[in-house]
Amino acid sequence: MPVRLLALIPVAVAISLALSAAVDAVALPLFLDTTGTILATTLAGPAVGVAVGVLTSAVNTLRNPTFWPFVVVQIIVALYAGLAARAGLFRSLRTAVPAGLGLGVIASLTSTPISYFVFGCTTTGGIALTTALGKALGLPPLGACFFGSFVSDFGDKAVTFALVAAVLHGLPRRTAARFPLALRAMGAT
Amino acid sequence: MSALHPFSLLAIAAALPAFAWILPAPGGGLATVLVAIGLTLTPGPGSRGAGSTPGWRPGFVTLRTALVTAAPFWLFLRLLHDGPTTIAIGLRITTMVASCVWLVAVLSPDRLVEAMVARGWSLAIAYLFAATLSAVPVLKARARRIVEAQRCRGLSPRGSVANRLRALRALALPLVLSAVHEVDERTLALETRGLGMGVRRTPLAAPLDRAAERVARWTLLLLCLAALIRRLA
Repeated sequence: MPVRLLALIPVAVAISLALSAAVDAVALPLFLDTTGTILATTLAGPAVGVAVGVLTSAVNTLRNPTFWPFVVVQIIVALYAGLAARAGLFRSLRTAVPAGLGLGVIASLTSTPISYFVFGCTTTGGIALTTALGKALGLPPLGACFFGSFVSDFGDKAVTFALVAAVLHGLPRRTAARFPLALRAMGAT
Repeated sequence: MSALHPFSLLAIAAALPAFAWILPAPGGGLATVLVAIGLTLTPGPGSRGAGSTPGWRPGFVTLRTALVTAAPFWLFLRLLHDGPTTIAIGLRITTMVASCVWLVAVLSPDRLVEAMVARGWSLAIAYLFAATLSAVPVLKARARRIVEAQRCRGLSPRGSVANRLRALRALALPLVLSAVHEVDERTLALETRGLGMGVRRTPLAAPLDRAAERVARWTLLLLCLAALIRRLA
């Protein structure tokens, strides 16, 4: 692996974890904890994205151990973002946001069985409360769990994709060209 | 406990949650949670975590951190499940939380990196762990500074969802862009030091890995596999 990509990995992990301060400031129900994974994938490909996702889960686990089983979701996010980058879906918000919504569905489908079978749908307070709302609406246990995951993931991944698209277009062309996939993800090649 | 080899600490912290999930509930979960809570009371001299609280012995601070972290899960489990399910899953999650909190208290990242290098892992892999742990607090502090700076410039993070999303863009973009530009500096520093995949270095102070600890680690792994096979049979 080139040294530049090696240097990118810790920075991308730190981006995922540091964005919580910005989210707290605007008080929106978002996580943005896959931003680093998606950004690294769009810059350097899915292998680097997977490495960022695994490391993000490992570091998050030190804060809250329930994050570790969801490492699978980070890997799926990296693979999906890789496909989206190769298709040039980060070329504008008009293409990035629908792609992010698609990821929201896939991420909630992936995280639901983990959340249901391992933690009984109690991974975070917000998800537990939306799951309780789903139960109150008469959904079966697994359906309520999916409802909780879907509500949290759907908008989050769309905003994350939009943010990554904005970052890619905010990078100077010379800086973007130093990474192997960035220009293709932006639809510039 | 902190004198144990880092791989032994990792093995114990991984084995306890594994046993908690494999062994039948609630007995298995109760046994593992008791062991994990016992461990939190022996964090050793290297304990960090929240151990700076005056008037608390480090072990009790670790235990308190574990209990405070696990408590919300019990609350939400009770909200969503019946009594026996709450107890079964709650004991497993508490084991996981207590093991992890104990690991953070006893495991020094420096010793872990030295152990990985001594075991022949690539220096690049060791760098990833060490650099990530040091980069996270730096970027978090920068994020807080950006939030304060943008507020001083009149950014209002309240109001409609669209307004909040615009504010989020103004907060997140400078942070992410500055971090991506930092990659250049890090690349230069790493290349100057000759770092790359496949590069090996000699550890300065490799942690002692006793034969008994190696045997214990393999025993833990075999016990986990045996318990899993017995459970699935």
